[in-house]
Amino acid sequence: MCGHCGCGEPDHEHEHEHADGTRHSHSHSHSHTHAPTTPVELQTRVLAKNDAIAARNRAWFAGREMLALNLVSSPGAGKTTLLERTIRDLHGRYDIGVLEGDQATSLDRDRIAAAGAPVFQVNTGTGCHLEADQVARGLNELRPAPRSMLLIENVGNLVCPAMFDLGERAKVVILSVTEGDDKPLKYPHMFRAATLMLINKIDLLPHVDFDVARVTASARDVNPAIAAICLSARTGDGMQQWYDWLQREWTVATEAAFA
Amino acid sequence: MHELALTHEIVAIVCQAAGDRRVHRVILEIGERSCATPESIEFCFDVIARGTCAEGARLDIRRTEGDDLIVTTMEIEEAA
Repeated sequence: MCGHCGCGEPDHEHEHEHADGTRHSHSHSHSHTHAPTTPVELQTRVLAKNDAIAARNRAWFAGREMLALNLVSSPGAGKTTLLERTIRDLHGRYDIGVLEGDQATSLDRDRIAAAGAPVFQVNTGTGCHLEADQVARGLNELRPAPRSMLLIENVGNLVCPAMFDLGERAKVVILSVTEGDDKPLKYPHMFRAATLMLINKIDLLPHVDFDVARVTASARDVNPAIAAICLSARTGDGMQQWYDWLQREWTVATEAAFA
Repeated sequence: MHELALTHEIVAIVCQAAGDRRVHRVILEIGERSCATPESIEFCFDVIARGTCAEGARLDIRRTEGDDLIVTTMEIEEAA
């Protein structure tokens, strides 16, 4: 029997008003037994645990004078190709390690290993992004050397990875010209979170309707401080600017350990 | 669907604070710029809370400005 109105009807709802004025209704299947309740103040950020682990990762990188970057993009923007070329071109200049994030397979791990860098693959299963504790566990497997550079290739996704701090120095968003120049406006969170935007596959510019000036302006609408570099990881065009950016970040990150 | 991961975290936060007491209501603030969709969290909550101290709890979501996602308050059964 319904304790609220005394009827025998199991499937109807009653609206309740709580002490703070919030009103809602429950169905009878709901466990609202009218038991006395106590309010408990929590004020806990949902991402507090992830952010605490990210802070620990960040301190770990700083203590080892490492530069850690979080590479994000939609699937197929060319993150792995960019990494392969970067590893080959900068061989001997930096000690580069890679954490690969994908829902499944170790295809990317094999490509990175073939390019000559130590790599550990994190499979996120149903997860659409990497979280800080997965990076911490990945570091435990990869064991990157002090004064090395860690490039984290996040799961291909322009939405979720924006929310999860991994402890990186910066997020680098890769956008390829085949994806269209409206992406910064459609996925503002990612472009707001990124420090650098790499516009990849510029060798295909003659074949697609992609306006570099427009995409840069859109990205700066959501994030006025974002830097932008146009390149092709396939032909190598523009890669030197990316390496110059890495060099600057490397210098700041490694010197920050003593700042 | 990062809301799935977020909702796991929400349930973990309230269950840890509730101990073995039953949670009747959870109040969540979602910032407009938080990149989390309220409908998705509502959808995930009932499923993820099943079998925990928050099973059957009411989730009330308040939209705020800004980019944070905060479990502000919960109501739990009074201690016996």
